[in-house]
Amino acid sequence: MFLTRSEYDRGVNTFSPEGRLFQVEYAIEAIKLGSTTVGIKTPEGVVLGVEKRVQSPLLESSSIEKIMEIDRHLGCAMSGLTADARTMIDHARVTAQNHAFTYDENIKVESVTQAVCDLALRFGESVHDEEAMMSRPFGVALLIAGIDEKGPQLYHTDPSGTFIRYEAKAIGSGSEAAQGELQDKWHKQMTLKEAHILTLRVLKQVMEEKLDQHNVQLAQVTPGSGFEILDEARLKAIIEEM
Amino acid sequence: MTQQPQQHAFNPYTENGGTILAIAGADFTVIAGDTRQSEGYSIQTRYAPKVFKLTDKAVLAVNGFAADGNMFVKKVKQRLEWYRHAHAKDMPIRSIARLIQTMLYARRFFPYYVYNILGGIEEDGTGAVYSFDPVGSYEREACRAAGAAQALVQPFLDNQIYFKNQTPAPGTVFPQHLPLSTVLEIVIDSFTGATERHIEVGDGLEMYVVLSKNSNALQGLRADAHSFQEVTSTADGERVFVIRRDLKKD
Amino acid sequence: MNSLVQRFSTSSSTPLAALHKAAKVVTEEDDDFSDAAWGSEAGFGNIAKGVPSFAVPAVADPTAFLRLHTDDHADPSCRIKIQHGTTTLAFRFKGGVIVAVDSRATAGSYIASGTVKKVIEINPYLLGTMAGGAADCQYWETYLGMHCRLHELRNKERISVSAASKFLSNLVYSYKGMGLSMGTMICGWDKTGPSIFYVDSDGTRLKGDLFSVGSGSTFAYGVLDQGYHWDLTDEEAQELGRRSIYAAGHRDAFSGNTVNLYHVKEHGWEFIGNYDVNKLHYDGPGNVAGSPGHGYGYDIRVEGLSSANPPVAAAA
Repeated sequence: MFLTRSEYDRGVNTFSPEGRLFQVEYAIEAIKLGSTTVGIKTPEGVVLGVEKRVQSPLLESSSIEKIMEIDRHLGCAMSGLTADARTMIDHARVTAQNHAFTYDENIKVESVTQAVCDLALRFGESVHDEEAMMSRPFGVALLIAGIDEKGPQLYHTDPSGTFIRYEAKAIGSGSEAAQGELQDKWHKQMTLKEAHILTLRVLKQVMEEKLDQHNVQLAQVTPGSGFEILDEARLKAIIEEM
Repeated sequence: MTQQPQQHAFNPYTENGGTILAIAGADFTVIAGDTRQSEGYSIQTRYAPKVFKLTDKAVLAVNGFAADGNMFVKKVKQRLEWYRHAHAKDMPIRSIARLIQTMLYARRFFPYYVYNILGGIEEDGTGAVYSFDPVGSYEREACRAAGAAQALVQPFLDNQIYFKNQTPAPGTVFPQHLPLSTVLEIVIDSFTGATERHIEVGDGLEMYVVLSKNSNALQGLRADAHSFQEVTSTADGERVFVIRRDLKKD
Repeated sequence: MNSLVQRFSTSSSTPLAALHKAAKVVTEEDDDFSDAAWGSEAGFGNIAKGVPSFAVPAVADPTAFLRLHTDDHADPSCRIKIQHGTTTLAFRFKGGVIVAVDSRATAGSYIASGTVKKVIEINPYLLGTMAGGAADCQYWETYLGMHCRLHELRNKERISVSAASKFLSNLVYSYKGMGLSMGTMICGWDKTGPSIFYVDSDGTRLKGDLFSVGSGSTFAYGVLDQGYHWDLTDEEAQELGRRSIYAAGHRDAFSGNTVNLYHVKEHGWEFIGNYDVNKLHYDGPGNVAGSPGHGYGYDIRVEGLSSANPPVAAAA
């Protein structure tokens, strides 16, 4: 096994004889090193939650950005090499704005997810004799939350460019335990508030530190207010309610 | 013989006459055009459609240079097809309007010599008319005429649809929207009138009627008054009909 | 991501060279989208690459070509009549910015529309006005709106009026000499307070307190300059805007139909109203703040005094 890998695991353009692309698989492994990220869909909207690893007391926790706005009706949480996600999210933002410019309507959640995944597949690709734009797959997974004419939706994307819709999904280092917990506790008619609490409970279970308003971040997308990151005061209130 | 100086200018355009118009009702829209195509004083054909169904909720009328118009309609249809594949739905009319703007403006420095009128049903079920200039400025209106006889037809529509220069009878108000039967009569009168007074208008009239879901606009019509041909493509959505009529052929 | 830098650091010395460069791209692709548009990019828009591309005719002088077919001022019989003619104004005062425009669009001497929206709502706190080519203003100001939103997402802060207007001015300057026609005022309220920038297709960009643009601007300026001062109340300012556009609608044949009035305040713009110019002449703006309570027309002031309007009693 190890031997076959060493021959085929460097090129992003070459399948192994067993039909695998090792670099892509390794990229998926990179996500398992990332902090835990949770997304839950409810009929009232979608909730995203992330763990912020505050490694030093000198670190400004507010500068850790793991949940970002794509457009008013779209949000995104990440796990893995978050630097890679910036490229993807900028692409998503540009795509969303282009869509709004060309069609005078909000882009659908699935369409923006598709656009991000198209970009994820562009590694090792060179167009018209140019140097390849990206030399390796992205090392990040995203949870894309949004609302469109089909209602609230949550998508998961990975470095292979695959995207799947979920009712609730956890990614990152604690994802196995977290996903199990979500499977137990998630139900169809959850309120937004229940989803907030479930997100935090799941994060709390997998976090090493004690959960407080500085080391987690919560965001939501609702039909009324669109995407918003909950401020520390609101976060604190929810934590106290847990 | 002395050679006269000659100017060579690139002139890819011609004017093919004809007139189009669209009127929006509360839950329907009528989009119409004559079918004569001419160049100068000669008539090239008596049946060249200028009104095209794009989807079950949108119909596009083009006027000006016929070759540009036909090509433009073709490209709009292509973009609608791509959009269907990418987003798994029919493009709403408001989005088609914006798309047409960007497509026309992409030719800002080599314009399509086409005046477009887009008619159909908005997502909220109301009738809509969008009118464009050749390079893409657009606006939503209740009615619009364009083409050779626009200066004859538009004032008539202003009077009949917007009730311009009319005062309501004491104690009454003008209706916000007219019923389909009235609108069809106004369209027919517009074109017979234009045919009488404009040499480039005539031969045939094609009227597309787009009805919103659950519209009962058809109910008030006498069955024998117009010959409706249904051209709807999908079930339980908006419905599209064509009515064809003769216009004078001289 | 640096398309803006690349975009505006063009080394081509003349617009013609730029045109030919564009023409080359166009003949290669033959349209406004690449092969990628067949695949997953389909339907995501024709400017997915950041900058829209334009088709250019393959002739020696594309600008002359465009002028030949679209310049109805020089040649009223030209085929493609781009909508023109306008009066727009905007001024700054202690209560924010007043923006007022007419609603007439003319193609040659034909009144193509009397219901044009010449104030473009770029976003909830930025307005742009439309004078010159209707499509140029509509398209580029919508495009500007898209970039303002991207700025907001990327920087977590609203774009300043200054930056937004400079983006537009750089954008149209890169098409200089190619036939764009727009004279616009970008109005808004940012950290520096209310502000107005005049931007036109020649590349001019001016910061100022008071502007009027379009064929009827001289008439509007007449009223505006006479009544303007910084300490106007909101009602007085709105009335001044309305009255100035009325004056232009009355005296300029290319302006008229209705007045659209907007007021930009600290938390964004507000639409004040739409007023029929003819009604303003005879009856005034009606029961609104700042109304004089009668028509703007001067008939009222000569009633019974001129030979054309003899006193009612004398006429009998």
